[in-house]
Amino acid sequence: MRRRDYVDIFFIIFGSFLLLYIVLPILTLLVRQCFDLETLISTLKDEVVLNALRNTFLTAGITTLIALALGVPLGYVLARMEFRYKSLIQGIVDVPIVIPHSVVGIMLLTTFSNAILDSYLGIVMAMLFVSASFTINSARDGFLAVDKKLEEVARTLGAGKFKAFLTVSLPLALPSILSGAIMTFARAVSEVGAILIVAYYPKTAQILVLEYFENFGLKYSKPISVILIVLSLTTFAILRWLLKRSDRYAET
Amino acid sequence: MLRLENVSKDWREFKLRNISFEVKRGEYFILLGHSGAGKTLLLELIAGIHRPDSGKIYLEGEDITERPPEKRSIAYMPQNYALFPHLSVYDNIAYGLKLRKFKRDEIREIVNELSEVLGISHLLHRNPKTLSGGEQQRVALARALAIKPKLLLLDEPFSNLDMATRFRLIEEMKKWHKELGFTAIHVTHSFDEAMALGDRIGVMVNGKVEQVGKCEEVFSEPKSVEIAEFLGYNVLRGSIKDGTLHLNGLKLKADSKFEGDVTVVIKPEDVLLSKDGGFKAVVEGVEFLKFLAVVTLNVNGLKIKAQTTAEEVLRKGIGVGSKVNVSIRNLRLMV
Repeated sequence: MRRRDYVDIFFIIFGSFLLLYIVLPILTLLVRQCFDLETLISTLKDEVVLNALRNTFLTAGITTLIALALGVPLGYVLARMEFRYKSLIQGIVDVPIVIPHSVVGIMLLTTFSNAILDSYLGIVMAMLFVSASFTINSARDGFLAVDKKLEEVARTLGAGKFKAFLTVSLPLALPSILSGAIMTFARAVSEVGAILIVAYYPKTAQILVLEYFENFGLKYSKPISVILIVLSLTTFAILRWLLKRSDRYAET
Repeated sequence: MLRLENVSKDWREFKLRNISFEVKRGEYFILLGHSGAGKTLLLELIAGIHRPDSGKIYLEGEDITERPPEKRSIAYMPQNYALFPHLSVYDNIAYGLKLRKFKRDEIREIVNELSEVLGISHLLHRNPKTLSGGEQQRVALARALAIKPKLLLLDEPFSNLDMATRFRLIEEMKKWHKELGFTAIHVTHSFDEAMALGDRIGVMVNGKVEQVGKCEEVFSEPKSVEIAEFLGYNVLRGSIKDGTLHLNGLKLKADSKFEGDVTVVIKPEDVLLSKDGGFKAVVEGVEFLKFLAVVTLNVNGLKIKAQTTAEEVLRKGIGVGSKVNVSIRNLRLMV
C-alpha cells in the first residue's frame, strides 16, 4: 500500500508540470496587465478593437451553426450506415486537423480566389475548414452511443424515420453534439493562420493582436490579448457548465 | 390474423428458410428455438425492421411485406426492453399515443388505465434507468400495448430477470393476456415459458419453423428427428427385423411390420431405472433440475438419457460409475 502511494505522488508531481505550463502564461499575462489597467480600459473603448472582437465572435458563431447543420447529418450517416470506403470518408473528416493552417488558407484562396478574399464569407470558410471535424466526430460518437433498438422500437410505435431521429436519437446524442460544437466554436475563435491568408480584412481580434505586435511591439498587443483570452475562457466555461447541467438533468 | 408464406432471409450469420405459419386473433403464440436460431431476426421481419429476401407476410389478409414498421401497427418489445432513457416512464408509455395525436386527457386516461392493470402506477414519474428488470419489462409492455397494436412481438421477455421474478411475471403475463386480450408472438428458448403461456407453439430448428401445434402435440409427437433432438429426447439409429428392433446389440419388441433401418425416439421419462429392467447400464453423468434428475446412461455403448426424480437418485446413491438396470417403457419409430 505504502509503495503505491509513492507512485501516485510521483505521478501527480510529474503531471503537474504540464498543467502548470498551461496555466502559467495565462496567469502571467493577466497579472501583468493588472498593473497597467489604464491601457486596458482605453483599449476596451477603442472602436477598432471592439469591432474586431465583434467580428471574431460573430463569424465563429456562424461557423458553429453551419458545422451543426451540416455535421450532424454526416455524423449520423457515419454512425448508422455501412458502406464501402467508409474509413476513407472518416479519414477525410479528420484531414483538416493535420494540415498546417497557413496551407489551409493557401488552398482555400487557390480554390475560391476572389469570391472569398477579404470578406466575412472568407473568415467563416477558413474557420469552418479547420473546426468542423470536432462537431462531425462528436455527433458520430453521440449517435453511436444510442442503441439502435431504441430507434427501431420508436418506428414500431408509429414514428417515421425522421420522427424517430428527432424524438429519440437526436435528444440522446445532443450532449455529445453540443460538446463538439463548443470545441468547434473555440477552435474557430482561435484560428489565425488560414484567416491571415484568406481574409486579413474585415479585421478579427486574433488578427489585430498580430498586427499590433508587428507594428507596435509586445506592449501594445498585450491588452487586446488579455481581452480575447478572458472572453474566450468565459464563453468556454459558461458553455461547458450549461452542458454539464443539462447532462446531469438528463441523468436523473 | 398474421400469416407468413415462405419467408426467407439471409442476414449476417442468420439464415431463415421458407418459414410459413399462421397466428390467430387473440392467440398467445410461442416460437421456441435455441439461441442463435434466428428468432429475433424473424420477429424483426414481422415488425418491418428488416425486409425478407423472399416470401410474403400478411396481416389481417393484407400484404404488409413492403410496409414500413410505423404503418404496420405491430408493437415490438426487444430483449433489452429498449426504454427511452431520456423520457420518464409516463412519457415512454405515452410515446406512441403522442405520435398518433391523441389529446392530453385521452393519453392520461390510457396511460393510467394500463399502468393500473400492470401495477406500475407508482412508477410513472420515474426515469426508466432507475427501475428494476421486472419493472422495466412492465413499462415496456405498457408502452407497446398503449397503441392497441394488432399484434405484439415479445423477444425473450423474461430472460433478463432473476428466477423468482420470472415465475411471478410469467403468471402475471397469463393474467394480462386474458384481461387485455392482445395477440402475441413470444420468442423464447425456454420450455417452461412455452408450456405455461403458449396457446400454440412453433419450433424453430436450423432456420425453419419445423412444427406448429399445441404444446402437448409437439412434445408428444415431434414431427422430425431435429425437433426430437431439440426437445432433448433420445434419438437412436436401429433396424427392424421380424418384429424385433435391434439397437446396437439391444433387442426390443417393435410393434411394426416395417423391415429395415429406422430412427427411434425415446423420451427420457420413458427410460426407467428399475431392478427388474432388462438392460444393464453404467451411469455416466447426473444433472439435477429442481426436483428432477436427468441421468446419462451407457447401455451397451449407446448413450441414453433417463429422467427420474432427484429424490430417487439421491436415495439409491446413483452417481457416475453406478451400475443400474434399465427398462424402456415406450418408444416411437420414425421411418
